[in-house]
Amino acid sequence: MIEIKDVVKTFDGFAALSGASLTVETGSVYGLVGPNGAGKSTLIRVLTGIFRQDAGTVCLDGRPVWEDAELKARVASIPDDWYYFLQANINDMMRFYRGFYPAFSQERFERLGEVFQLDRKKAIRHLSKGMQKQAAFWLGLSCMPDYLILDEPVDGLDPVMRRQVWSLVMDDVAQRGTTVLVSSHNLRELEDVCDHVGIMDRGKILLERSLAQLQDNMVKLQVVLPEGMDAVPDEIPVLHASRLGRVHTLIMRMSAREAQERLAPCHPLLVDAVPLTLEEIFIYELGGVDYAVRDIVL
Amino acid sequence: MRSVTSCFNAMLFRKNLTRFWPLWTMASLLAVLPPLALATALVRGYGDKNPLSLTETYYEALCGPVPVVVLFYAVLCALAVWGYLFGSRSVGMLHAMPITRKGLFCTNFLSGLVMTLIPWAVCGMLFVAVSLAFGLFDPAGVGVTVLCVLGLAVFYFSSATFCAFLTGNVFAMPAFYFVLHFIAMILETLLSALVTLCFFGTTTSYMGRVDFLSPTVWLVGHLDVERTYEEVWIADGGYTDQILSAVDLTRGWAIAAYALVGLVLLACAWLLYRRRPSECAGDVVAVKWMKPVFRYGVAFFAALAGGQALYALFWYDAVTWKFLPLLGCMIVSGVIGYYVASMLLAKSLKVFRGSWKGLAALSAVLLVLCLGLRFDVAGVERRVPALDQVEQVELYLDENNYALIAGEDDALIKQVLELHQAVVEDKNYIQSRQSRWYAAGAGEEETTYLRLRYQLANGLSLARTYMLPLSQTRMDQPDTYDARLSALVETDALKYLRLHLDPSGEMAQGWKTEGLWIYSDVTNFPGLDGTSRDADAVLAALAEDIAAGSWGSPSWSKNEEDRYVVSLEIRYIRTGGWTEDREEDRARNDTVTIILRPEMTHTVETLLELGLIQSTDLITWAEWNAEGGGQTYEMPAEADTGPEAEVVPLNKEVAAVAVIGDGVPARSLRELVN
Repeated sequence: MIEIKDVVKTFDGFAALSGASLTVETGSVYGLVGPNGAGKSTLIRVLTGIFRQDAGTVCLDGRPVWEDAELKARVASIPDDWYYFLQANINDMMRFYRGFYPAFSQERFERLGEVFQLDRKKAIRHLSKGMQKQAAFWLGLSCMPDYLILDEPVDGLDPVMRRQVWSLVMDDVAQRGTTVLVSSHNLRELEDVCDHVGIMDRGKILLERSLAQLQDNMVKLQVVLPEGMDAVPDEIPVLHASRLGRVHTLIMRMSAREAQERLAPCHPLLVDAVPLTLEEIFIYELGGVDYAVRDIVL
Repeated sequence: MRSVTSCFNAMLFRKNLTRFWPLWTMASLLAVLPPLALATALVRGYGDKNPLSLTETYYEALCGPVPVVVLFYAVLCALAVWGYLFGSRSVGMLHAMPITRKGLFCTNFLSGLVMTLIPWAVCGMLFVAVSLAFGLFDPAGVGVTVLCVLGLAVFYFSSATFCAFLTGNVFAMPAFYFVLHFIAMILETLLSALVTLCFFGTTTSYMGRVDFLSPTVWLVGHLDVERTYEEVWIADGGYTDQILSAVDLTRGWAIAAYALVGLVLLACAWLLYRRRPSECAGDVVAVKWMKPVFRYGVAFFAALAGGQALYALFWYDAVTWKFLPLLGCMIVSGVIGYYVASMLLAKSLKVFRGSWKGLAALSAVLLVLCLGLRFDVAGVERRVPALDQVEQVELYLDENNYALIAGEDDALIKQVLELHQAVVEDKNYIQSRQSRWYAAGAGEEETTYLRLRYQLANGLSLARTYMLPLSQTRMDQPDTYDARLSALVETDALKYLRLHLDPSGEMAQGWKTEGLWIYSDVTNFPGLDGTSRDADAVLAALAEDIAAGSWGSPSWSKNEEDRYVVSLEIRYIRTGGWTEDREEDRARNDTVTIILRPEMTHTVETLLELGLIQSTDLITWAEWNAEGGGQTYEMPAEADTGPEAEVVPLNKEVAAVAVIGDGVPARSLRELVN
């Protein structure tokens, strides 16, 4: 289990993390989403022992990560800007990783070679960005990690390879109980793989829920109001409202059933609850903290 | 399962060595050359067959080339193994790996040290192989050399490691390294220059007071090879020869001391690594508390160096200095340094906002410094030691050097101190005359140099140099420095000292004559060598002339026209107990020039008796000039070695020939003239 509690990290007075807390249950896939500069990458670097937090605790299975090599041997992290030695090819990096990770599986590495059909002897710097990302996954997954920390993991991968990579990750989760923390802006993809989501902004986790809870907590209604009624009454809390002809689209922070009950006194001609995508949840949740999409036309 | 908590990671160690193989391979290839050259020389029959001569070669290398090479090579190795600290991606990768910082530190340090040592090991093994092959193997010499190279490698690589943890920038790291190694020397030079500019009588010469803080400078300057030779009779050839019987590396302990310093720096580096944030990769200064030190250090250094350079460019005056221009130059340079440092720290050009406080503090410090210099708060100019503080005085006066020892030469030291005091009190007069001297050009005024170096009882030394204008009027006034200077030169005790004689006229302890040399200021007069016995006889005659008051008057009180065109030099050498460590023993040899004058009857008579000169040589410059000196003389054809006769500007009688007749050296000027 990953437990991050009240973590603070400042850079020259700027608080990149200001009391961030999250919990990732063992064997779950946790999606960390948030706007640019929210502190996601900083949180991941703290979690992988690169940065040391100024305050708070960062634990894996109840043990602080900082300077615990034994614990870190169970963690594989694939950052957005994966580093490799300048002259190295995949075989060189494989030997390097094998020297550090006691659980590194040569057998798995060979099997994954069939998936990632890359030239092992070609200098990594000569591979494309997407191929380098594949190489990172190849090595990371060969380390047989209990914890997989991914920062923008499929950025640069083609759609087929994305699906392939997610499939491999999900296999690990299903078969080995790997705990995955993934930070991404690709909410559509996270929606498919995550069972928990944390939304982060300004160094804090705004909310963390299971995806089902998240979707249950917010509803999108398409409503047709009676003749003469142009908008829903002010006392009904609406996060966002838009109108196309006579159809009003309302986003409300409540369950579909409660929303329908609140609208019943208006005698709507039609009420239809539509599930929100993670992207919509993200947008409307952050809209509440002054991060809404602004209607600006240039 | 492999342990991941160890302090050493074999994979990282191997990776470091394999990644940077071109570095140590190239260095090793270069390291092959010296033993190869030795082997070639031995095969060709060159070189000494004494094993100690090879040890001597090792030690000579340790005294200069090895420290300099390790200085440069160690920083390259450090850049290789600690390079990951300078990039955010690389530092992120390695710090995310299952290895502690302790493990990274130990493994990288060991691999870097091994990289530093590989070329030396290659070189050493080849030397050993060559020496074994030719029967020149000296295990003691090899052992000492190996330990010394190891010590130097530990010191230099550890200091480079320390610098790597001060910064997060790949370019700043070697800069910090070289600054660390030479800052003491540079600062001493800059401060000496400032003191010399501002304080009357102070000297610019680099004293190396703190050069132990610049280890390469110290090692190159102080390590030495001590050789002992034995005279042996070579029966085959029927002659004696000197055989090298022992070789020692003097002050070799310093390498061990520096190696210990290296270990301390290594410990400091480890402490810095423990606290080092990974996010400082790319920063010029990685240690938070060092940022203001860097900012103000660069500013102060720029003020010292740039300030003096600017001042010299626009306001230089050899005699005095001006307060406001110097302050202005230092502030301008300091401000530039401050902003450059701030820009480097901030990695941005936008550092001007809010900088006024730092600039105000810097300006205030520079103002205080310049005021301190202006009003001589420390009393540097006025400092004249008390008699009981002085252990020894090294004195340069009237073109002669003296060493006055407390307890033996107290009366003379007292005179020197009074003279020094008089000079200090007449500072304004001296400077005004000096300014006139510089304005009018040399030759308009009579001047002389006075150099003083006091060795004080508290272990410190005080050195002053004055260029003193002289006037006959002031020499007649007893309290002026002019009069005191003349009186000091006229002192018999000083005259004896000048000749390394004791007051009874006997040779002073610790010195003996080596010979003498008689020559003429007239061009190409053949010089004549005299033996030490001749020199002793001449010295005895000089002592009689001193007693008669006919030798030793100051040069400025004499008419140049009244001196003979021949002069003589007496050469001295120290006897036993000589060591470079003692200030008074710095010069092993000494040469005293004696200008011959007609009133030096005892000396002239002795030279004539010894046959070193003829009566016909006793021509004064007045006579010489009266006979038409200074005209061009055409050399005789038989002395001409070139295709055309050389025409030299010369006095008419004196030929530029070293021999007369059938190659017999000329013994007199008149012989040459006739």
